[in-house]
Amino acid sequence: MSEEMKADLDLDLKGLLCPMPMVKVSQNIASVPVGGTIRAVATDPGSMADIPAWAKSTGNEVISAEKVDGEFVFMVKRLK
Amino acid sequence: METQQMTTLAGVLDKKMNRQLKQYLDICARCAICKDACHQYVATQDFKYLPARRAELIRQIYKKYFTKTGEFVPALYEARDPDENLLDELYESAYACTGCRRCMYYCPFSIDTAWILSVAKAILIAAGKGNEMLGQLADAALFKSDNFEMFKDVIVDGFKDIELQVKELTGDPDAEIPVDKQGADILYVALAGAHSILPAAVIFHEAKASWTLSYFEAANYGYFFGDAVKARQIADRFMDEAKRLGVKEVVITECGHAYRVAEIFHEAWSGEKHSFKVRHILEVIDEYITDGRITVRPDAITEPVTYHDPCQVGRNGGIFEQPRNIVCALASDFRDMTPNREQQWCCGGGGGLVAISEMDEFRLKSGTIKAEQIKATGARIIASPCENCRLQMEGLNDSMELGIEVKAIMDLVLEAMPLAGSSAKVTPTD
Ligand code: SF4
Ligand code: SF4
Repeated sequence: MSEEMKADLDLDLKGLLCPMPMVKVSQNIASVPVGGTIRAVATDPGSMADIPAWAKSTGNEVISAEKVDGEFVFMVKRLK
Repeated sequence: METQQMTTLAGVLDKKMNRQLKQYLDICARCAICKDACHQYVATQDFKYLPARRAELIRQIYKKYFTKTGEFVPALYEARDPDENLLDELYESAYACTGCRRCMYYCPFSIDTAWILSVAKAILIAAGKGNEMLGQLADAALFKSDNFEMFKDVIVDGFKDIELQVKELTGDPDAEIPVDKQGADILYVALAGAHSILPAAVIFHEAKASWTLSYFEAANYGYFFGDAVKARQIADRFMDEAKRLGVKEVVITECGHAYRVAEIFHEAWSGEKHSFKVRHILEVIDEYITDGRITVRPDAITEPVTYHDPCQVGRNGGIFEQPRNIVCALASDFRDMTPNREQQWCCGGGGGLVAISEMDEFRLKSGTIKAEQIKATGARIIASPCENCRLQMEGLNDSMELGIEVKAIMDLVLEAMPLAGSSAKVTPTD
């Protein structure tokens, strides 16, 4: 699904250690329009809980969070 | 700003007031000795970063609301209301401060400017002007624990992935990462990622320790944000787990502020005496090496290595010798920085600054003294236990072309341990 959808911003967060993947998504969310998306690819498994928790607590949405070949791929939608 | 709102903000200072804080506010001799102790002031020569000047902003509110002279002749006594201008100045002073307390070490009256600035953060939060990013990170941590069932499977799946690497490294198919183990001796509290779990799991396995891994991460952005209630709640997550499991000790990973929160602040915040002790992982590893429970090759690292004392582990946490013992046990050419231990310069990465992008340029500039210190050792590897420090030193390495490798102490230990499966060595960040 995330393969087909074109994101407004692609973030390469590979190699970053938690909580930095979540920090980078948060720092960049304002650069996409409301309703826009960020596709983020991280390698730290902690991001699988961190990024959805950040999205929930800030009122944004993780459309998908998948493990693909040892990487964690997120589609995050800006809701406000 | 309405007078009522300013009075409410002054009330935050009133709530935080105790004898110690009052003394700090009354006693400053304006000798400015602290200016040469603060890496941020020394690197920028900007008056707003002078420690006594930062504290003076709180002192101005104190004079206006808590002294007769300041109340009646504010101009003469530099008394001010917490209006928008003052709050803007407070924001820059307080959220730029790394809380390193080097200024306190050199102050003839031991004035704790970082503590005064924690009051500044509480005032800013009450005014709705707390740092947004640090607030979000604190809220995300609490959201995870408040809705734990939503995240439990994903957290445990992550642990299982790391467990496979533990099996591979130790060559032991039965090696595990125990979670939620009632009656274990140790509750190990890591960071959210693999890098602080994998090496510790291997070390505990080799030492045949009775341990269990916490579901929750040690990092505490509530503390950096300046909200004592959230900071306590974030630490409560693993402190309650420790009580429930009946462990003998809580061992905090290689993280400076998390150790200080757990070891120094949590009992005071919760008003409860812990039924277990709290130690830093480096204290435990040093003990394992000394007692022969784990072995490290003495010549594992022949390149020159130096060590950076993170402020919250060293000056503010009292752990100086254990990390040096560990590094010296596995590296043949250890070179300490000058100055070191209590006098060590702050690298500039603490206080949550690495998460505040608008401070990136300032943060790297404030690290110039650290970069010079590192260069002077001629070391090729810099070891340091605090993740914020390592991020900062990696930034300094890139921006100032230091040509060094920045390493966690546990990673060095992992490299130096003769492991049955070491031929299949994987990197903790994979
Ligand atoms: S060193 Fe202490 S007494 Fe002197 S100006 Fe700084 S805070 Fe005040
Ligand atoms: S605690 Fe550190 S960063 Fe903060 S004012 Fe003092 S020396 Fe400067």
